[in-house]
Amino acid sequence: MFKKALLALPVAMAVGVAGTAAQAEWQDPNDVLQKLLEAQPDSKYLHQSEMNIMMMPDNPALYLLDDGEELFYKERGPNNASLESCDFGKGEGVLEGAYVELPRYFEDTGKVMDFEMRLVHCMKEIQGFTSDDSAVSQRHGSGSDIMRLTTYIAHQSSGYAWNPPLDHPKEQAMRDAGEVLFFRRGGAMDFNCAACHGDSGKQIRASVLPEMRNSQEWTKAVSWPAHRAGQDNVRSQNHRIRGCIWQMRHAGILPDTPVNTALISYWNDAARGEPAILPDLKR
Amino acid sequence: MFNKNTVAAGVAAFASVALAAGCAVADGNKADDVDITAMSAEELAEHLIFETGSWRDQEMQEGGGWRDRMTQDEIQKACSFDSTRNDLDGEVAGRVVALAREQYQAPEGDIELGDWRKGAELADSGYGYRIGHNVDDHGTREAGGNCYNCHVMDSSVSVQGTIGPNLENYGAQRGDSQEIRQYVHQVISNPHQYFPCTQMPRFQGLLTEEQISHIMAYLLDPESPVNNR
Ligand code: HEC
Ligand code: HEC
Repeated sequence: MFKKALLALPVAMAVGVAGTAAQAEWQDPNDVLQKLLEAQPDSKYLHQSEMNIMMMPDNPALYLLDDGEELFYKERGPNNASLESCDFGKGEGVLEGAYVELPRYFEDTGKVMDFEMRLVHCMKEIQGFTSDDSAVSQRHGSGSDIMRLTTYIAHQSSGYAWNPPLDHPKEQAMRDAGEVLFFRRGGAMDFNCAACHGDSGKQIRASVLPEMRNSQEWTKAVSWPAHRAGQDNVRSQNHRIRGCIWQMRHAGILPDTPVNTALISYWNDAARGEPAILPDLKR
Repeated sequence: MFNKNTVAAGVAAFASVALAAGCAVADGNKADDVDITAMSAEELAEHLIFETGSWRDQEMQEGGGWRDRMTQDEIQKACSFDSTRNDLDGEVAGRVVALAREQYQAPEGDIELGDWRKGAELADSGYGYRIGHNVDDHGTREAGGNCYNCHVMDSSVSVQGTIGPNLENYGAQRGDSQEIRQYVHQVISNPHQYFPCTQMPRFQGLLTEEQISHIMAYLLDPESPVNNR
């Protein structure tokens, strides 16, 4: 761990000099993408879809922003409350830069929570929704409240560098367990995540796969919510995990569970220092 | 190592203070009742998989439940590292090859090739063994081999994967002797016999012997489009 931290520092500085990265300042998602494309002219992953790059200024995910904002400030649920008192880690109602600093440890629950877990927690605790209400049970699809809220909230962190905190021992523990899970072989076909995301420029059919160690590829890889052109829907980080675990022939992962949180802790950490594209557009 | 231990000690001390101060509020979730900072990363990963209710309760296609699916066998355990980068440790490689040979069941007598047309379909098909929100039903459709996901076998029919080597003209280059057939059967059944900790799945048990014979025909039959590229 210690060795890794030492190595990470000069890398972050070098990247900073190259001029792509780490800012604590909002940037338009298309501007973030353009800078990454310039910084990595040879990345097959980043350059794989000219069509999507062209579409980026008109990313259909942007259409969810207004609805998401309205849902956030509207008094809703059995408690007739807005989400303004929800603390995503930077204080009640503070959304700027909050999304890129998750997962994190929350004192009020005593555990490390990823974004979706935290959002659902607030919708239940503050607004009074229960697991059976469609407002929280529907997790996927551009029409769901969760995806509209996710897109709006995440957008407030666009261009901020990924910076999930590791100060609390539980945050470090979850990140480290996520690393183990990334390399853990299992399931019917012996896959771990690295089987498909360990080498650069590899393809599964027509999809060029992002490599986890290239943090400028990886920041795009983990930049969800993203509109998935092939599915014509905006998707979340949790949806991506579910999809990859399904392809891996592991067991069926459930939402709001800590295996998700650990994997996200690790993969957001792997993009540390690089600006997030929120929302992104993917194939 | 040294630093890790000192950090861990500080962490443990901090955690007990936090607990004593009553910061940690249980949420009705079993995961919260244990001190996750007292575990190694490997222990915590196993804990998260087996003790936190992270999986749907479903019957797997091969039988058993999620727990059976997620329990590692010896080869999976030995290969749970970054095998794409780190040089494979010689001792681990030897052990994995030995385990794979032990698991492998050789067919009796000469190996016959099946029908390459069926093999082409099976090599293309990514159906089978997926579970969770969308369950592959083996009762209505047979499982496939996923070969195109990782190998180019006939680049004229579709876009194919590059995780594994290009297999075009595989048989044309190697011939179709019993020795070659034995080797290919071994690789498809349990590739760790030759490539310890490879990313390629072990298909013995996932595909039937008949399905494997069709796929082998697709690779080795001189008539197969794979060998006429
Ligand atoms: C069998 C191969 C395979 C395995 C194993 C796999 N993935 Fe993926 N992953 C893919 C494919 C294919 C895509 C791209 C999807 C697409 O383009 O349609 C992808 C996409 C992703 C992305 C988003 C990048 C993008 O552009 O869509 C992330 C992040 C990711 N995977 C993480 C993981 C994690 C974490 C694991 C382990 C839990 C994992 N993957 C295991 C094949 C795999
Ligand atoms: C997840 C990816 C993956 C899948 C799926 C896969 N393979 Fe492979 N295969 C590989 C890799 C990687 C290698 C190279 C071995 C190594 O170095 O690890 C390989 C090697 C081989 C070889 C040996 C090549 C040689 O040098 O002699 C054959 C034959 C082969 N695969 C056939 C198949 C067939 C047939 C299927 C479908 C039933 C299949 N593979 C499915 C990844 C895969």
